[in-house]
Amino acid sequence: MKKLLSVVLALALALSCLSAVAESAITDQEGASVSMLAMNSWYSTVDLKDAYLLKKVADNANVTVEWTLIDPTTYSDTVSPMLAAGQDLPDIIQLPDTDNNMTYLSSGMFVKLDEHLDIMPNYSKYLEANPFIKASLTAVDGHIYYVPQTVVTNNYQPVLMLNMPWLEKAGLEVPTTLDDFVAMLRYYKENDMNGNGDPNDEIPMSVQSAFLPYMFGPAFGLDLVSGFYADDNGVVHYAAAEDAYKDYLTFLNGLYNEGLLEVEFTSLNRDQITERCANDLTGATFDFSWQMSNLYSAQYENYDGTKGIIAGVAPLSGAHKGFYVGRNPVSGCFGVNSKSDNIELAVKFLDYAMSEEAQDLYVWGEEGLTYEVDADGNRHFLPRCTEDTIWYQGLGINAPNMPSQQSTPATDVLLPAWHVQNDREFEEPYIRAPFPNVYSTTDETSTISMYLVDVQTYVDERAVAFICGYASIEDEFDSYIATLKSLQIDELIKVKQAQYDRFAAAMK
Amino acid sequence: MSRSDTKKPLRQLIHRDRQLLLMFLPVFLYYIIFCYLPMAGLAMAFEDFKMGTGFIGVFNSPFVGLRWFEQFFGSVFAWRLIRNTFLLSFYSLLFGFPIPIIFAICITQMRGRRLAKGAQVITYLPYFISTVVVVGMMTNFLSPSNGIINQFIKTLGGKPINFMSDPKWFRRLYVISGSWQSFGFNAIIFVAAIMGIDPSLYEAMRVDGATRFQQIIHLIIPMIADTVILLLIMTLGNLLNVGFEKVYLMYSPAVYETGDVIATYVYRQGIENKNFSYAAAVGLFYSAVGFVFVVGSNTLSRRVTGSSLW
Repeated sequence: MKKLLSVVLALALALSCLSAVAESAITDQEGASVSMLAMNSWYSTVDLKDAYLLKKVADNANVTVEWTLIDPTTYSDTVSPMLAAGQDLPDIIQLPDTDNNMTYLSSGMFVKLDEHLDIMPNYSKYLEANPFIKASLTAVDGHIYYVPQTVVTNNYQPVLMLNMPWLEKAGLEVPTTLDDFVAMLRYYKENDMNGNGDPNDEIPMSVQSAFLPYMFGPAFGLDLVSGFYADDNGVVHYAAAEDAYKDYLTFLNGLYNEGLLEVEFTSLNRDQITERCANDLTGATFDFSWQMSNLYSAQYENYDGTKGIIAGVAPLSGAHKGFYVGRNPVSGCFGVNSKSDNIELAVKFLDYAMSEEAQDLYVWGEEGLTYEVDADGNRHFLPRCTEDTIWYQGLGINAPNMPSQQSTPATDVLLPAWHVQNDREFEEPYIRAPFPNVYSTTDETSTISMYLVDVQTYVDERAVAFICGYASIEDEFDSYIATLKSLQIDELIKVKQAQYDRFAAAMK
Repeated sequence: MSRSDTKKPLRQLIHRDRQLLLMFLPVFLYYIIFCYLPMAGLAMAFEDFKMGTGFIGVFNSPFVGLRWFEQFFGSVFAWRLIRNTFLLSFYSLLFGFPIPIIFAICITQMRGRRLAKGAQVITYLPYFISTVVVVGMMTNFLSPSNGIINQFIKTLGGKPINFMSDPKWFRRLYVISGSWQSFGFNAIIFVAAIMGIDPSLYEAMRVDGATRFQQIIHLIIPMIADTVILLLIMTLGNLLNVGFEKVYLMYSPAVYETGDVIATYVYRQGIENKNFSYAAAVGLFYSAVGFVFVVGSNTLSRRVTGSSLW
């Protein structure tokens, strides 16, 4: 009898607990709150402070989040001085970068999360399931400090896109080599491709200068995007100090002189390219795959959603076989402020934010609101999601201010079928991993911070000068290399080699 | 304050000038908060700054002596930054300084008062346009594909010039646009000085048969010489103070060769790349040179004109 009573009592107690707070609650305390510093939406007219889905995540965890949200375009410039000052920081902080130089974690600003894994069931599970990410998050001291935000790495990366109707009209094959590609551009320049009677208004190629290295570097065997890259033997090189870089510059200088690379290529932006698509003025571009269907192709009146007008093709080859440069999975980091008086709750909230339940909310939203489930149990986004972008983004979908994980399947459902197929056919097989993100030791950090910025500044400015012909490649390339040497490029390569070796060892 | 004031007790003086002092308060606070308090952070220039330790205070981070200064002067960019900073301000002064004087003389010599007033208003209005807008206008007007200037060049059969990304053009554009924006405003003080000349002097010259040109050479210029010299000396003190915002808005990696100045380099190193200590060291060097200029020009002013700031 006594036993039965105690069982009943225990059950009643358990039930009352259940009714008070959801299963996912991280605290049973009323009115608990965590403060969080993070990025606001990339859409300038959207404020995520009261975003429905994010509120729901907080409600599930039974806390309120006091947000400090900062515009993503100025996030780094605003937040790094705040972190440097170290005063009055919130409990959870989204870092301005992935902290590869261990600038922040070596100063002890962030809690060592691996010591709290016992109260982080979701994150523990995630780390176990993703050894690659775990390896890249483990600092030189062996601790894990951050919860990551990740992106897709082998799909929907920057890709070469061509104007398919023009190609057909010209009767040309899809170019696979630099020579074919240039021949195509010349043809576009000479002919009235858009059929408006004026053969001179065609702009053969519209590429933002940031994408030129993605587009042409690989054909010369260079990964100029990562800057440092390892060859097949695991030897690290700096792309802009290689001999092949001279050929790359000569090629671009040729395009520039011929007018195939426009005079204003350094200031060209995505809005201008979109406008050119709307007026059918351009034959080739290079951008994140994402823009292909919903932005560029959508500009054409005769686009019906079943076949791409601006569509991706395989990378161009030259002296080397072409490839596309992928991304590192970790795109952002969240840490818990070690000076916070709320560490346990903050850690638990970050853990809940990594749970499958929360991830599902970031990706899909809520049934009936953003998606419906069909008879076969497949989810489909509701039409309003694509029709009313501001509303959709305002819900907090994809949560730029949370440790959200992008996935290829979740991206697929947002795109038309031809685009998904295009990605599988022309992009995925050609992706090459970029130089890995590896934490630096203190000595490495001091070498990197001392030399790398100057090297990059110098490379950037010389690149423009060489391409535009302000400086002669023939006469000045050798002195360019000599200056790179005096900027200690060899020291930097040594550091990157050591880092690459550590990474390779950790992956074995 | 006259000398007899010193005998009165301070409290009484404060009470008497309370309204003036209240008006001065924001200025005072501005200098304390934005100019004097940050000086406490200069210690960073000799330390290896650790994140989260705060900008103000000494011994929060390990002491590294002159390491950052050595790094800066050993860098291939040091000389270029110093040269760019100096040349940009020097050219601004060289071309920007005489124009308002010449303009002020022209304005005051105009017969139609209305026309003169109108010209003055039109020329000083650009001073109030924000730098962002001015640089935006430059980018538009100078665009190689559809900018009005290049359309003009093309119509005349020339080849379009990529003004904004050609290092040759950076200083010219900076100086020309700067002068355009400020010459009307800067002329005001000279106009006032010229207006202050006793009209009977002109009359006397006219009676003696002086031409207008002779009046300018022998009357106006000597009469405003003091103002000109005083202003010149004060500008010299600010010689190194190039407008960070404008350079930052105008430049791109393509024109670093002539456009990168110490202030923008400090910004890139400090704010963008988080090398706070290194940026502080370069900034300190910059301020030290600026300090020499200010003291130098003050001394010069005292020697030449007998008046000085201290």
